[in-house]
Amino acid sequence: MNYCTHCEVKIRENQEECPLCGNMLSGISNNRHEDIFPRIPPYYERHLAIRILLFISVAAVAISFSINIIFPSNINWPLLLLFALVSIWLGVIALVQRRYHISKKIVRQVCIISLLGVFWDWKIGWIGWSLDYLIPITSIAAIITMYITAQIMKLSIREYITYALIDGLFGIIPILFLLFGWIKVIYPTVICVTLSIISLSAIFIFRGKDIKMELNKRMHI
Amino acid sequence: MKQHKEEKWTRLDNASKFFPAVANNKDTKVFRFSCELYEDVDPEVLQQSLNLTMESFPFYNSILRRGFFWYYFESTYINPTVESENKPLCAPIYIRNEKNLLFRVFYYNKRINLEVFHSLTDGAGVIWFMETLIYHYMTIKYGEIFGNNIPRLNYKASISEKSDDSFRKNYNKKDNFLQRKSKQSSAYQIKGSRIKENRMKLIEGAMSVKSVLDISHEYNTTLTIFLTSLLIYSIYKEMPLNKKNKPIILSVPINLRPYFGSTTARNFFSTMNISHSTHSDNLDLNEIIQSVSNSFKENLTKEELDRKLNHFMSLEKSIFTRIVPLTIKDYAIYIANKLDDRKITSSISNIGKIIMPKEFNDYINQFSICVSARRPLITLCTYEDRLVISFTSPFEETDIQRRFFQFLSQKGVEIEITSNL
Ligand SMILES: [Zn+2]
Repeated sequence: MNYCTHCEVKIRENQEECPLCGNMLSGISNNRHEDIFPRIPPYYERHLAIRILLFISVAAVAISFSINIIFPSNINWPLLLLFALVSIWLGVIALVQRRYHISKKIVRQVCIISLLGVFWDWKIGWIGWSLDYLIPITSIAAIITMYITAQIMKLSIREYITYALIDGLFGIIPILFLLFGWIKVIYPTVICVTLSIISLSAIFIFRGKDIKMELNKRMHI
Repeated sequence: MKQHKEEKWTRLDNASKFFPAVANNKDTKVFRFSCELYEDVDPEVLQQSLNLTMESFPFYNSILRRGFFWYYFESTYINPTVESENKPLCAPIYIRNEKNLLFRVFYYNKRINLEVFHSLTDGAGVIWFMETLIYHYMTIKYGEIFGNNIPRLNYKASISEKSDDSFRKNYNKKDNFLQRKSKQSSAYQIKGSRIKENRMKLIEGAMSVKSVLDISHEYNTTLTIFLTSLLIYSIYKEMPLNKKNKPIILSVPINLRPYFGSTTARNFFSTMNISHSTHSDNLDLNEIIQSVSNSFKENLTKEELDRKLNHFMSLEKSIFTRIVPLTIKDYAIYIANKLDDRKITSSISNIGKIIMPKEFNDYINQFSICVSARRPLITLCTYEDRLVISFTSPFEETDIQRRFFQFLSQKGVEIEITSNL
């Protein structure tokens, strides 16, 4: 074992300096010892790539705004660019996260797409396509995707039931569009609401106990 | 039956609630318990032993999830697997929204390292898991040598006793959390340059228990009080002159099990703050020992521990705390913790004796324990005559560590130093 004469301690492992005082160890014995701790390489590189991409995105938005100020145009295209980049980053974050909570992600995507859609529709002069088509179709897609992924990934009922419930409730909202007469094309909405009601009734009739259990667990005070 | 078992969930105990809110990359709230053998670790045997150990500790097979008001443990069927050590010391274990167990088992050359997220259990709770793991390892690996007289692991508690929430059990509703105790002044803060990537520097000093006990007796005190005082002394000696108006305050965890007759393998601890003013020009170790020993006496009475337990439980039980959504609670705990942090300079935690059957002595060199750290701090444990004192620190500087170990080596203690960086 090596010895630091300054600290008067023995040094295990193959250190060249004393971990305490930093002095070089004299007369290092030639017989190498087995390491006690592995050398773990840094993970800096991976982070660097993400930082560069983030930097490019921010720079692109800043430049586009300044170009728009100098050379004004009719459409506020830098804002659209900003939204596009935000959506891309949200997507990337969703991808990077593990497959756990896939059902939560579906619910989140539905909310994001709906909100962005309404905003976009309103921004380009309210044609109404977001309420007519986008929201009902997204909800239908979400309910179907939820059941398909649950089957494929063999999720246990408790893993997705709450989100199936939220999805179902969300899918009923378009009935308001119908009642208030906000929409011109009714087929997507009608299909969406019907599907949601069927899905919700299935959950309550067959899985009422699971819902109660999940709520107990998640809402205990 | 299986269906029923699958849906089991458990509330977090009082201490566990704190850790998910404050764990981050700088302070992961993970601690590592290591066992160093004389031979290289056999991964297959280790895996078998882990599988057997899990049967006695079903509670460890849970993941931490977020409810709307509180976190909760959910039982799973994820099988823990042993891995060759591939992460920095005490790397994060609990990551929000990831479905991971709250502990991991690494091996590297001669060492078996068990890393645990603090919500699951405390140091005293994990000893038992580790003892069981090593017991199985020894009996599988060396069973033939022991022949018919396979040593027995002393039985301590049933499975339900192990997963007991002892905070809840010993709460007697006497306290009101609104009664705040007297305000403490802010403590001296150790500064330093952070190691990159938020890694931690571990410096382990292994020595003979007896030789340190002898020195403690020279000072007419116990091992824990002596080492606590020596830590204060080392910090004092390395303090810059212009900071010598703030007291040095050490946080010392107390294992509550012996005081309340609990055998839980979950969290059951409290902490006390040991404060020492640094006004006088030349602090003397004897003087520090005297005051530390008095603080220990005051804090370690059943009444005082009762009061602490009830104080924290009343906070948790108050309807006020309960109906606040978890996200807000998390922030509140995070901020409260930041403020409390200013009142602490460092900490020292003695996990105590690890006891294994005598027959294993020929195969086990030492046990050691270390913990993630926001500031230099000490954890220690003993096995047979080997005491391992582990300093962990997020800083490059090692002055306090050097001062601490040099004091011991100058007293004639033979020390073997190991470092991970
Ligand atoms: Zn040295």
